[in-house]
Amino acid sequence: MNLAIVVQRYGADISGGAELHARYIAELLSPRVKVRVLTTCARDHLTWKNEFPAGESQVNGVPVERFPVDRERSIRDFGIRSRRVFTRYHSLQEELDWLDSEGPVSAGLIARLQRSAAEFDWVVLFSVRYHHAYFGARAVPGRAVLVPTAEREPALALAIFQPIFRGVRAIMYNSPEERAAIHGLAHNEDVPGVVVGIGSMIPQVADAARARAAFNLSRPFVLYVGRIEENKGCAELFDYFLRYLEFSRRELDLILIGTPAMPIPPHPRIKHLGFVSDQDKFDVLAAAEALVMPSYFESLSMVALEAWALGRPVLANGRCDVLRGQCVRSNAGLYYENAGDFAAALERLLDDTALAEAMGRNGADYFQRHYSWPVIERKYMDMFERLAATPHQKSMEPLPGWFARRRPAVPAALDLLASLPSGPARLDQPAEVHA
Amino acid sequence: MDQNQGQRRGHFHRGRRGSDRRGLDRRTQPAPQPERGGGNPVDVEQIMREIRGRIAQRQGIELSNQQIQDLAARRLESILDPRAVKPSLLEAMRRTAGAQAQRAAEKVPNEPAFSFEDTTIYDSHRGLMRFIRRLLNPLLKLFFNPNPLIRALHIQAKLNVEAAERDAERDRRQTEWNALHYEIVQRLVTEVSRASLELQALSLRIESLDAKVEFNERRVRAMEGSAHRARPQGGPVRPAEPQPAAAVSNVEAEPAPQADTQTPAAAEGAPTSEGARRRRRRRRGRRSGMGPGDGQPMSGGQRPEPAPAEGETRFAAPPPEQLPDTGIVESPPVPYEQAAAPASLEHPAPMPPEHPAPFEHPVPTAFEPPVQAPPPVVEYTPIVATEPEPAPASTREAPGAPEPPQPAPDPERHEY
Repeated sequence: MNLAIVVQRYGADISGGAELHARYIAELLSPRVKVRVLTTCARDHLTWKNEFPAGESQVNGVPVERFPVDRERSIRDFGIRSRRVFTRYHSLQEELDWLDSEGPVSAGLIARLQRSAAEFDWVVLFSVRYHHAYFGARAVPGRAVLVPTAEREPALALAIFQPIFRGVRAIMYNSPEERAAIHGLAHNEDVPGVVVGIGSMIPQVADAARARAAFNLSRPFVLYVGRIEENKGCAELFDYFLRYLEFSRRELDLILIGTPAMPIPPHPRIKHLGFVSDQDKFDVLAAAEALVMPSYFESLSMVALEAWALGRPVLANGRCDVLRGQCVRSNAGLYYENAGDFAAALERLLDDTALAEAMGRNGADYFQRHYSWPVIERKYMDMFERLAATPHQKSMEPLPGWFARRRPAVPAALDLLASLPSGPARLDQPAEVHA
Repeated sequence: MDQNQGQRRGHFHRGRRGSDRRGLDRRTQPAPQPERGGGNPVDVEQIMREIRGRIAQRQGIELSNQQIQDLAARRLESILDPRAVKPSLLEAMRRTAGAQAQRAAEKVPNEPAFSFEDTTIYDSHRGLMRFIRRLLNPLLKLFFNPNPLIRALHIQAKLNVEAAERDAERDRRQTEWNALHYEIVQRLVTEVSRASLELQALSLRIESLDAKVEFNERRVRAMEGSAHRARPQGGPVRPAEPQPAAAVSNVEAEPAPQADTQTPAAAEGAPTSEGARRRRRRRRGRRSGMGPGDGQPMSGGQRPEPAPAEGETRFAAPPPEQLPDTGIVESPPVPYEQAAAPASLEHPAPMPPEHPAPFEHPVPTAFEPPVQAPPPVVEYTPIVATEPEPAPASTREAPGAPEPPQPAPDPERHEY
């Protein structure tokens, strides 16, 4: 079986969620099938500046083809177009312009996909919101397997994506909440789909004592791992943590790992370790009292899964349906919706050691049952076999004509998003493949 | 600030010190797992419900949302001046806030939309008449030009339609704004009511903390005075010094068998005596720690009082051989059953060794009556882990004796 994995960026040192997801899948499946990664030369997801050399290379034994990005992203233009399509009645053409503005636009990559009719059995496209996934799915609809990595954000509700959700061969969802949102938008229940998610490269040994010594972590601490920016809820996290310190007087630190994109409050209890190696990250995670996930938008929190794999509880933002759903389904984390919740849940985790231990065990068990590599691999291979046994019958809905694309009849994406069902998906909802 | 924070310890840290609070060590030596029953011992949703319930209790608001909204509605009515505002206005707004938007949207213009085209003035329901008018139209145009008239009427018809649409849209928006304003005002008043309730609860808490601080200051002064009196007179045991009458009245109801000069009136706790005032202050101080969430971990979890860690100094009386030589005869700890003698109100009594004095944890009990004579005999009540009793006065001490020396305070503990 020949498999193409198409993703916006790719590299061993690229830490974005979808990119890491794609790399893990490529490396996981490469012993079983022939995998080739098609990607761009970009390293920075904000500008899509060409930094990697175009052409073929290898990353951890997986062949990679890189294609140059035609133009860099203009943040200002993207912001203007985003406001227009997210908040007003607009046309399909404006959405397509928004997609062009979002990028990464790589005509070479799309042409390569169009030429690959006989080369790849399946084309796994990552991150539906980007240009390469949209036009890649339109280029090879009969072989497209989509990994949407979609969060509950306005871009998901854009009208241009609904034919993609209905027209690809299969969808590999990250969470039941993501599947419910996409079903609510595109009514694509007949498209084969399965909730898979992704595992993580958990080391055999995570040395908490080494991390404490190496980073001078003498006090108990809670940990945040990820990009430190407002979109990830970090401003709210700092606010809640500082308010918690005002009255608790507990000897507790907040440790941050990741690249800062916003100022970090200069407080002695907040420490930023910067960007650390994977082994350091897991060691610090093992030493933490809990992992804090303040993000509002997640399709699947890999860091939360890593914390659970190491037996650490998670304190998550309850306004993110996916995180809350994961906490509820795993019984391995608490969640908060305001500063009072945050402080009380944190205190409960720190005070009730038995509860924290039980949650850690639940998390480890949840990770093993749903996100260990054999489970992920089996779900992907089962899906490919099922698709191979089923002939492709539907075709991708074509784009409307010139005039229809310019009719301002598409409602604001935020309005559509607000009409979607929300909340964590329950355990009794089916999570298996739809025929 | 940070160094101070590093040394300060909240009340929920007592008994968990040093390595006991380190995450790694705690994980390597986990506490015994409580049986939670079932195959899945943790129910996150249930835990979150408990947490939020405790938050509501800790804020001192035990009213339901509906009760708060009723309260807010009453306050909104009280804000409105009946002389300036029509009494039925609020009720009408409330009644129509939700329903007007739909009605406005369905509002039909009074006048039907009348279109005026270039053939309208020649139109007729009779075909023959229409034909004749069209035939004679050139002749008519010899007398006057009807086109400006037709154009004016056509424009007027369009203006009429647009005006009707604008009017309907304005009405709809106005109705929506009214509903929005009503909703905002209602929510504002609800939030103000909630905030005032919280303010009330916090005021009560400040009062109780104030009393607690006052009580603690008195205790500190007493300890300092005791040490000050004891230091220059170290050495041989010296007899108890006589105390003024006010101090004599500061004994419990049951007189000691020896050296008790208490009068019956004083034993009944005369309200004007100094002893009664001190007792009241002490009760106030004790009650101040009884509020919900006070003296307990904020999460309110079932955290049993842990045994003191190795090397930890509890705020209980040390063995006599460890006490500094102050030259004062120290009464040995007396079991509660035998503690029939009046005790000093200034200092807590040492507890039996198996029950370390839970001095740090004020007791969550009901309010005591304001002034009552204490029971004649102090009964021993077994202390359970989840509901520690206050340290009852058990030292038998002659009235007028100087304050017993206290152990050196723990430098890490700042709450007392």
